[in-house]
Amino acid sequence: MAAWLVLLTIGIPWLGGLCVWWLGDQRAGLQHRVASAFAVLGAGVSLGLLRFTSPDVILRIPLGSAFGDFTFVADGLGVYLAIIATVVGGLAVIFSNDYMQGENQLGRYYALTLLFIGAMAGLVLSDSLLLTFLFWEITAFCSYALISFHNDDPKAVAGGIKALIITQIGGIGLLFGAIISYVYLGNYQIHLFLQGVDALPPVVLAWAAFGFLIAAAAKSAQVPFHTWLPDAMEAPTPISALIHAATMVNAGVYLLARFFPAFEAVPGWRLAVMLVGLVSALLAAVMAIFAGDLKRVLAYSTISQLGYMVYALGTGAVFASQFHLLSHSLFKALLFLCAGAVIHAVGTRDMFEMGALRKQMPFVYAVFVIGALALAGLPLSNGFFSKELILEYGLAHGPFWAYAGMLAGVGITGLYSLRMLWLVFYAPAHSAKQVHDAPAAMRLSLSLLALGTLTTWLLLGPFSAVLAESLPYHALHAESTLAGLGQVLSAWPTWLALAVVLVGMATWFLRDRLAGLAEPLQSVLAFIQDGFGFEWVNRQGVRLTNGVASGLQATQTGLLGWNVAYIVGGLILLLSLILWGS
Amino acid sequence: MNVSGLNFILVGVLGLLGVGLYGLMVTRNLIKVVVALQILVKAALLGLILAGNLSGAVNLSQSLAITVIVADTIVAVIGLSLAVQIRRHLGTLDVKALSHLRG
Repeated sequence: MAAWLVLLTIGIPWLGGLCVWWLGDQRAGLQHRVASAFAVLGAGVSLGLLRFTSPDVILRIPLGSAFGDFTFVADGLGVYLAIIATVVGGLAVIFSNDYMQGENQLGRYYALTLLFIGAMAGLVLSDSLLLTFLFWEITAFCSYALISFHNDDPKAVAGGIKALIITQIGGIGLLFGAIISYVYLGNYQIHLFLQGVDALPPVVLAWAAFGFLIAAAAKSAQVPFHTWLPDAMEAPTPISALIHAATMVNAGVYLLARFFPAFEAVPGWRLAVMLVGLVSALLAAVMAIFAGDLKRVLAYSTISQLGYMVYALGTGAVFASQFHLLSHSLFKALLFLCAGAVIHAVGTRDMFEMGALRKQMPFVYAVFVIGALALAGLPLSNGFFSKELILEYGLAHGPFWAYAGMLAGVGITGLYSLRMLWLVFYAPAHSAKQVHDAPAAMRLSLSLLALGTLTTWLLLGPFSAVLAESLPYHALHAESTLAGLGQVLSAWPTWLALAVVLVGMATWFLRDRLAGLAEPLQSVLAFIQDGFGFEWVNRQGVRLTNGVASGLQATQTGLLGWNVAYIVGGLILLLSLILWGS
Repeated sequence: MNVSGLNFILVGVLGLLGVGLYGLMVTRNLIKVVVALQILVKAALLGLILAGNLSGAVNLSQSLAITVIVADTIVAVIGLSLAVQIRRHLGTLDVKALSHLRG
């Protein structure tokens, strides 16, 4: 039964993708409905998996030889993430019914989206590293193809290629880990890796640990690989909500959480993880203050929030990081979809051309406020509890400087959340154009996500229980919702963090008076807007690659004699390597 | 087979291989390319027969050898007919001159 559910969770979206493709773009209305039906069905099936969480292998597909067995495990971590993928995926597809109305090539759009949803569920449910790698690459491909969905727009194409290349670095890290597992343990099974981790030589384990950290940083858009995410905002907004906020970018955090028991003892690894999270959280938050494009602000905030999860893993708070992941997927998908509704109505992504939309789009305004509350970490929202959990654990188990940095990040988050809200909904209107509130399908997705944002903190107890039961290597303990909430509310760091958020928000209201203080910042503003120099590094990388490529072009003569000479040279090299090795 | 016989054949294989590869590397005449290719394949054939003898799977190696001969003949025929056509249409058999035709 559980095996079937796993297969269906992956298979139903894929089947739906094929169906939508087959329907053809002439029947756009039917495509919308079929895609939504399959996505919702997939979400329903994945919810059924909740009843079958266990740490055991529930499905084994033996492939033999170097491929090993493809296995699936429906443990708490995997099932929760699969549910996030399919449910947020379903809501994003429903949202697309309105958002993509009248677009061409809906078949391609929905097929790729559904392919992505299935692959993401497979990625988190798979227990074979090789299979995880396969799904990982499928999600990277879908992300690339959907960023470049408007393939007549050079910016979209460039953003897609950039995302593809940078996330490939992560793919290589993962493949590297899979090969290490196969060489030293003779299989790809993750649970056997966690079990037999002591059999690995420490050096190899360290290589694997840092390889996975690079993989996670590339996929989760952490420093220094974060530059692809803001450029990925050329994608249609439901895609940004689904892939670049709620699911795919979490794959890196998921990977670190999954392998945390194996790597926690590697010297320096936890500190490195903490640093990556801290630097990402702070840099991206600062960039979010200065961005003018609504979706880019959200992209930077995603990097920043993912930084919080990575930091939490570095301090050892596996549960807190996964809980924040759950909260973040919901509230960030909500914010992105709201942004989509606004952009759809106004026709621009520039926040300075919006303003005063509060009266014209009351519904979107209301749910956006809920999302912004959660992003800033204010009470009543899921973001409040999960972020406080991370901070508390960080204070108790991590170095103080890191905690102080994260606390500053909380303040900056409050500042840019309020700035975003103010610019979009309160600032004086810039055009007299009348816009309409979100249509029905959009409202449905938005209200469900808003409901989730307001309530998922109630899942603290069940979530921790499932994780503790089904993750035997993680040494987690279950906690009841009430106890957890009481602990959060009674701890002083919570109130300190709240005070910092309010200070951050106050900064926005006092911005005119603080303008004098910001004067010296003007000189570094260009530097900040260039992504703290990381864009420059990227450009140098591209230039170097192009230079080397055009240099190597001279060797491609196309002449038979030279080609044979290269073959013979390669053969001699290979033979001498073999002789030298033996 | 004694050891000196084995060495003798191995030298033959490597010699033919060397001649064939050298021919492919230096020649620019299309017909000579086909000839060099033939020599190369003969080296492989000889190696195949030798391997069959050493491993005891004589039947297998001989049937494979026949297959290679057939395939190789087809290569020769097509290569030569191409050469003839190229010469007829372009008036040259020089591979380098032909490579300037890529578009």
